[in-house]
Amino acid sequence: MNPRNVGKIENPDGHSEVGSPQCGDAMTLDIQVDNDDKITDIKFQTFGCAGAIATASALTEIAKGKTLEEAGEIKNSQIVEFLGGMPPEKFHCSVMGHEALTEAISDFADRRDETRNHLEAVISDMPVELEHALGNNTITIEHVHPGRIRISHLNEETQKIAEILEKELYRRLGRTVEVRIAG
Amino acid sequence: MKIYLDNNATTRMAPEVLDAMTPFFHDQYGNPSSFHTFGSALIEHIETARQQVADLISAETSEIIFTSGGTESDNTALLCGIGADSERPGLVTSVVEHPAVLETAGYIEQTGHPLGLVKVKSSGSLNMDSLEELVNPNTGLVSIMKANNETGVIMPIREAAEIAHRYGALFHTDAVQAVGKIPVDVKVEGIDLLSLSAHKFHGPKGVGALYVRKGLKLIPFMHGGHQEKGMRSGTYNIAGIVGLGKAAEMAGYFIAEEASKTSSLLEKLESGILKKCPGAVIVGASAGRLPNTATVLFTGVESEAVLTLIDLAGICVSSGSACSTGSKDPSYVLTSMGISATDANTAIRFSLSMYTSDQEIDYVLEVLPPIIDKLRKISPYTR
Repeated sequence: MNPRNVGKIENPDGHSEVGSPQCGDAMTLDIQVDNDDKITDIKFQTFGCAGAIATASALTEIAKGKTLEEAGEIKNSQIVEFLGGMPPEKFHCSVMGHEALTEAISDFADRRDETRNHLEAVISDMPVELEHALGNNTITIEHVHPGRIRISHLNEETQKIAEILEKELYRRLGRTVEVRIAG
Repeated sequence: MKIYLDNNATTRMAPEVLDAMTPFFHDQYGNPSSFHTFGSALIEHIETARQQVADLISAETSEIIFTSGGTESDNTALLCGIGADSERPGLVTSVVEHPAVLETAGYIEQTGHPLGLVKVKSSGSLNMDSLEELVNPNTGLVSIMKANNETGVIMPIREAAEIAHRYGALFHTDAVQAVGKIPVDVKVEGIDLLSLSAHKFHGPKGVGALYVRKGLKLIPFMHGGHQEKGMRSGTYNIAGIVGLGKAAEMAGYFIAEEASKTSSLLEKLESGILKKCPGAVIVGASAGRLPNTATVLFTGVESEAVLTLIDLAGICVSSGSACSTGSKDPSYVLTSMGISATDANTAIRFSLSMYTSDQEIDYVLEVLPPIIDKLRKISPYTR
């Protein structure tokens, strides 16, 4: 047995911990997501039977490279096919993996919302130095990811604007959000 | 390569046992209950087997009833034992009994009998205070196993029988896991009823015995052709009974001469596991255990995954739980000892036999630690 994608991701974009407290079955799952919402890396750990390990390995292999939306729609039949068949009485073993992936995707969405909300708060309640750097311009947000955002290029002060936003977001979120400038 | 370390589930039948049984599948096919000598001459073989079984547990031949195995013996003991005295409807047994006793006790409770379940201590041994609390003058039968199938913990049944008798109750012991592995003496231990099964000590499956103390009158559970003095009707399973007898004879020799070899192999296995698998815990380590049984908690490592990988390496062991409906039921034996559900689902039982060799233990100690290590790396519980 050589399960793939086992382990943890340092600073994941989405993370989940699921399981059954009654029997101790547990799974953790981490995802790394690019600016196109594609899963670039995925890792899991589990305390479960061999069926749970195998189906999680298959699920993570299938999910890798897919968008979050596509990954959320992976069917059990795809896992069975990937594994080259599975006894029907083991089908339920994949439930925990599906739950873990769904939770990790929803964790990613929550973190993205958090970043977006704080970004909007910074913009609506602007510190003086940011107001000054902006002049008559308004910030255009092109993309929000939990760990990085992309804004449109405005003027020669854009780099400074990005730095101020980074500093303000760090102050509010307690984590680093990289602010990139488009173009 | 196959290494069989699941001898509490069943054992390999001894070749000597098969040899003893074979004639009764061939030319000696008569019915011992027949009038003609072709059949009735076979009674002699049944009585030899009865003597062999009686000798193994220090009983008299008249006290041995042949049955179809442990489950039937347990059912007969409980269902007939509880009906022996209508003034005493109460049944007391322990929480760690085999399902053959526990489920029967549950059925008896449904028919209106009070049921008391004795707790166990964290060591896995019987909680004697709990037993004292539950037994009272209304108790008709106390049933406590001689040794537990999952942990191998040996119960203080002599003391338990004393408590039962002090209140006038009968005492039954499910000795299915103990007989053939450790000395059992029905007289010394004060046992009224005892269940045993041939296939747990290298005999055939489908045959066992119930010891019923002389003088104890029970209303039979099976009715029919009056075999076994009417206590257990049904045509004699002569091949099986002869096989049980031969296995009993061999087990007597094993206990006297060879059990120490098995217990030293078990010690080697346990110390090897503790040394090579960090985080491993031997269940019931502080209690007296069968010389062949070790249940190990590989904390953080799920047992069914271990079973699967160890099976691929040719090693047969078992776990306390079964993943059947998506969520596992942890072993009630282990959780009743205060072990958490999560830890109970890391339990692997190794059970040795007289056929287990030193090389086999070496192989297990070579193959198992990397499997545990691999699964521990996958586990979210690894600290």
